[in-house]
Amino acid sequence: MKTVDEINQRIKDGDAVVVTAAEMTRIVREDGAEKAAEEIDVVTTGTFGAMCSSGVFINFGHTDPPIKMTKTYLNGVEAYSGLAAVDAYLGATQPNRSPDIGLAYGGAHIIEDLIRGEEVELVAEAYGTDCYPLTELKTQITLDKLNQAIMVNPRNCYQNYAAATNSTEETLYTYMGTLLPQMGNVTYSSAGELSPLLNDPYFQTIGLGTRIFLCGAEGYIIGEGTQHSTESERKNGVPVSPSGTLMLKGDLKDMDSEYVRGATMPKYGPTLYVGAGIPIPVLNEDIALRTGISDEDIGCRIMDYGVPRRSRPPVKETNYQELRSGVIELEGQDVPTSSLSSYKKALEIAEELKAWIDKGKFLLTNPVEMLPSTGQSVNPLEIRRPFILVKDLKSKKLILAYPTDDISHVAKKMVQNNINHLPVVDDKHKLLGIVTSWDIANAVAKGKNKLMDVMTKKVIIAREDEPADVIARRLDKHEISGLPIIDKDNRVKGMITAEDISRLIVDGPDDEEEGD
Amino acid sequence: MKAWLEFSPKKVNKAIISDLMRDYDISFNIHRADITPKGGKMLVEISGNQSKEGVEFLEREGIHVSPIKRVVKKDEEKCVDCGACVSLCPVKAISNTEDWTIEVDDQICIGCDFCTSSCPTRAIKVTK
Repeated sequence: MKTVDEINQRIKDGDAVVVTAAEMTRIVREDGAEKAAEEIDVVTTGTFGAMCSSGVFINFGHTDPPIKMTKTYLNGVEAYSGLAAVDAYLGATQPNRSPDIGLAYGGAHIIEDLIRGEEVELVAEAYGTDCYPLTELKTQITLDKLNQAIMVNPRNCYQNYAAATNSTEETLYTYMGTLLPQMGNVTYSSAGELSPLLNDPYFQTIGLGTRIFLCGAEGYIIGEGTQHSTESERKNGVPVSPSGTLMLKGDLKDMDSEYVRGATMPKYGPTLYVGAGIPIPVLNEDIALRTGISDEDIGCRIMDYGVPRRSRPPVKETNYQELRSGVIELEGQDVPTSSLSSYKKALEIAEELKAWIDKGKFLLTNPVEMLPSTGQSVNPLEIRRPFILVKDLKSKKLILAYPTDDISHVAKKMVQNNINHLPVVDDKHKLLGIVTSWDIANAVAKGKNKLMDVMTKKVIIAREDEPADVIARRLDKHEISGLPIIDKDNRVKGMITAEDISRLIVDGPDDEEEGD
Repeated sequence: MKAWLEFSPKKVNKAIISDLMRDYDISFNIHRADITPKGGKMLVEISGNQSKEGVEFLEREGIHVSPIKRVVKKDEEKCVDCGACVSLCPVKAISNTEDWTIEVDDQICIGCDFCTSSCPTRAIKVTK
């Protein structure tokens, strides 16, 4: 048994034994936890990953005449200014207000530019008051001239995270990176055995007031992060799905762009790569054992991001050793894996923090309060508006066509029923293709007679149990105006069109369906 | 070797590639091809004992062969070595080294641009 004060005395004396979490894994494996607890004083962890829930509080200073800023833009990126006159919070994921720039340069990029010492344009608007008469301003700022620029990240350092794959037929662009169709790749995010909260899985040493490495500066844990949860299933003591989180604080003026970067997940949006390292005092054998966790012992679930719902189905349970190997087997196929966080940077951060402690310039702190370690779970947000599924939509009379149908016959059917899309099915009503009025015009122009020759065989479909909002997004994404609804046996049950969806927005769901 | 083959409109109807395959001891991999009646380009990888003779044959047949030196380049300043690109590369030109640095091999790269459009820090450029 050791105390933090005893360890700090050793740090000051230059006698403390500090190792990285990766080194500790080997030490515990070779020498056992009991001996490791005696010999090792501090284990340094590290992570460098995309952490969207990050941002900076800025105080710009007062102008003459003064202004009470109600809208502020930094290089075209809006910062929230519903605070006092010249305070704002710049969030990492805020896109640029210029549609030409959009997702390519957002809040996270401004944070990096400020840290690099670059000049940033500030534009502010105000309504003007007796004490703050100025109503607009435009000027240039740099980090050193700001009164304060305090990074406060509401949710960082997730204790484990899911890995992602995509079972659909199209490429998906997500916060888990680009996901290739037909489970063409797997992406993952956690730093595994180096990750801070996986080395102290029960929050025995980490808490409010723990001094840490944050983006190259000294920072602090200021409490549990948003969505902090403690009730996930555990394996070898560590949660196998996203669990604990941290709220972190640090001074932007002391940060180093080597350890914090603005980035954009393609077609998803801006995000901030945050470098964080947390020292874990090895107070006893149990803590030594926990910090000895290896990639192999840390479980991780691969989720199918092809399902755009809150609960995504797990495809496989794996571990970080397997993920880090570069290839994983999914349904009999070898699938390449990608880390979205930088393991190289995570190692550098753990090494850098170790060097700070070794040199005696970084002392450990006793937390003022521990993080909640039980009874925390994440509540979903229920939408009051009734949740409408495709099968709840009022279906019109089902009109079908068959591949051997004559073009003129199909044209007649479309005109009679005043429709533009017609699903083509076999004799069991299973979907074979789709034909639109444009296809018919095209067939006539090219002198084709049979439907089979002009129908589109690759059909975008809606399933009965999908939410109408998901279908609205699908229509928009593919720039189409209608798609067939099919059941689990691929049988056509109806058609859904952009008109049906817009009617739903205007009228709400059918009254009769609200009653049950 | 990896090279762009340029076909003039006059050559697109000739079975030059199949003659090449039949008459020379080479293996031939087509990475990209865009050939229309107006001519076009094909990115190929040629290897084997008679690659040199094969290329000479192509040039005799009037196909312009321009070997590729550098295709893909990583910006060391911008790259954070995350690895988001690794699993997206269709030809495994991107890999992790021992110390988890991301390495791109321009000999293998086919310039598909999938990595460049998916890089969170825009650190990979493909030059054509």
